Amino acid sequence: MGKTLFEKIWDAHVVVGKQSGPSLIYIDRHLVHEVTSPQAFDGLRMNNRKVRRPDLTIATMDHNVPTTDRGLPILDQTSSVQIQTLEKNCQDFGIKLFDINSPNQGIVHVIGPQLGITLPGSTIVCGDSHTSTHGAFGALAFGIGTSEVEHVLASQTLWLEKPKPFEIRVEGKRKNPHAVTAKDIVLSIIKNIGTGGGTGTVIEYRGEGIEDLSMEQRMTICNMSIEAGARAGLIAPDEKTYEYLRGRQYTPKNYESLVDYWKENLKTDDDAKFEKQFTLHIDDIAPQVSWGTNPGMTCDVTETIPSPDDFSKGDSNQKKGAEKALDYMDLKPGTPIEEIKIDRVFIGSCTNARLEDLIEASKIVKRQKISSDVRAMVVPGSQMVKKQAEEMGLDKIFTDANFEWREAGCSMCLGMNPDILSPGERCASTSNRNFEGRQGTGGRTHLVSPVMAAAAAINGHFVDVRKVDFN
Amino acid sequence: MKGNVVKYERDNIDTDVIIPGQYLKVHDYAELATHAMEGLDPDFHSKVKESDFILSGKNFGCGSSREHAPIALSHSGVKAVLALSFARIFYRNSVDGAFLLPIEIEEDAYKGIAEGDEIDIDVSKNEITNLTKNQTYKMKPFSDIIGKIIDAGGLFNYKP
Repeated sequence: MGKTLFEKIWDAHVVVGKQSGPSLIYIDRHLVHEVTSPQAFDGLRMNNRKVRRPDLTIATMDHNVPTTDRGLPILDQTSSVQIQTLEKNCQDFGIKLFDINSPNQGIVHVIGPQLGITLPGSTIVCGDSHTSTHGAFGALAFGIGTSEVEHVLASQTLWLEKPKPFEIRVEGKRKNPHAVTAKDIVLSIIKNIGTGGGTGTVIEYRGEGIEDLSMEQRMTICNMSIEAGARAGLIAPDEKTYEYLRGRQYTPKNYESLVDYWKENLKTDDDAKFEKQFTLHIDDIAPQVSWGTNPGMTCDVTETIPSPDDFSKGDSNQKKGAEKALDYMDLKPGTPIEEIKIDRVFIGSCTNARLEDLIEASKIVKRQKISSDVRAMVVPGSQMVKKQAEEMGLDKIFTDANFEWREAGCSMCLGMNPDILSPGERCASTSNRNFEGRQGTGGRTHLVSPVMAAAAAINGHFVDVRKVDFN
Repeated sequence: MKGNVVKYERDNIDTDVIIPGQYLKVHDYAELATHAMEGLDPDFHSKVKESDFILSGKNFGCGSSREHAPIALSHSGVKAVLALSFARIFYRNSVDGAFLLPIEIEEDAYKGIAEGDEIDIDVSKNEITNLTKNQTYKMKPFSDIIGKIIDAGGLFNYKP
């Protein structure tokens, strides 16, 4: 019987293992950041261990870095300590670090592909759940905890139980691909399969709707695999993948011969079997807006807030969850999504802060001003994205409209740096999680695409972006 | 392993409510513990006792890979989380660092065990006894590797 792409990558990385039971898996790339690594390095020191492959380990600081002027000292003492600790750890263990002043600094999942560190067919881990992003390149990439970070630093391997392959087909063509984005596709998937729908699986996204997407859009899809509970999500590489990685700073010298090998090997066999399947038809899907406190609580922008009864379809815990979510979000069933007024807009995060995201959002913002009731910010995913955007004049478009234009980092996605919501504030956010308090204690998050966030900033509320002019 | 249950009758308890992002800079585990479950239940720290258990619904620990989540619960005294299902990173983090036992239960235990009930977990028999209600439930057995990592006292002591 044939194999799925995931199974081929897995099998190629088994160091020790049998058909069933756990396997020791070799890790090709390890991305490290300041928040989930300090205890791992402490563990190495305590046990007098070295980093086994510093050459396969790359570090940057993204989670708690300020997004304001990099020339100023960091006011938050604990953040400052965490950043200095990573600098010292990288120095002591010989790891390449893109520090806060590096032109390559940025969110790990943005810089990996940009630098050509992310490669098809490789295994990639990081102490961050959104490592699934790199799956867009046909890599097996997943988040791990700090104990596993230490294990990879010490041994370049991990003990894992093999997940099951899950096929998600995205079929059809979007009528308005500017207004209905990759974010709307992945939110629609999670809305349908649920936040636990992918548990224990590695998703392979396939079909015309996926092949049509650019690499940056594919990253948005794979990024949110974890929000469906999946271990990882991946997409078979194609010409777009190979073209994207060609000639980047860390792209291997023997790249073209690797491409030949990947073309031959990195695809799911026709007779391969998936354990689970789901198909989404995208011809008629609408822009999505989350209304609750997990990414599955999402509906079309043209819909109204559902009642807990309608949402839960008879499941008592789902009903309680929806009631609690509506209470936290201060929303009532029956309210049209387009009537929800917002206070803040955040265009950023490893989900939606790449150049293409900023270009698309800027088309809506151009020659407009944001609503006087709204405070809005753009936080580019990396310093490289920021520089490219500035070369295109996007920063000017955003600042002319009264957006704040920031330095790169995770920022308001997770509220570790000063970029947070105040209690009760409502935010249209291009990030990945609308959990209670995620963007700041008492803050209310609506997950949307970059164009929806931009339109909401201009109008002060959500609008059907299919009716908006893209300049 | 005996203790009392703190019950959260809901699904999808995420790691952002177990330990909000602003505390990921805290390296002192005792201090981290004072903020455990703060995003969901600000009274948790005052009501939880040494050797207590948490009982909850599906997809417990979803979201971020922060190992701070099982650490904060463990240093609050929580010895095990019983849930209908777990998000995988939280599940592995719990056993890799030997912080707490993630125990998958069935509907009977989820419905039968109430807040404050005293229960006895016998991992060797895959059995949970509700001492308050005099009921017994099955727990799902640990897989081979998870059982061995738990027995070894964490990932770094595990030998295949």
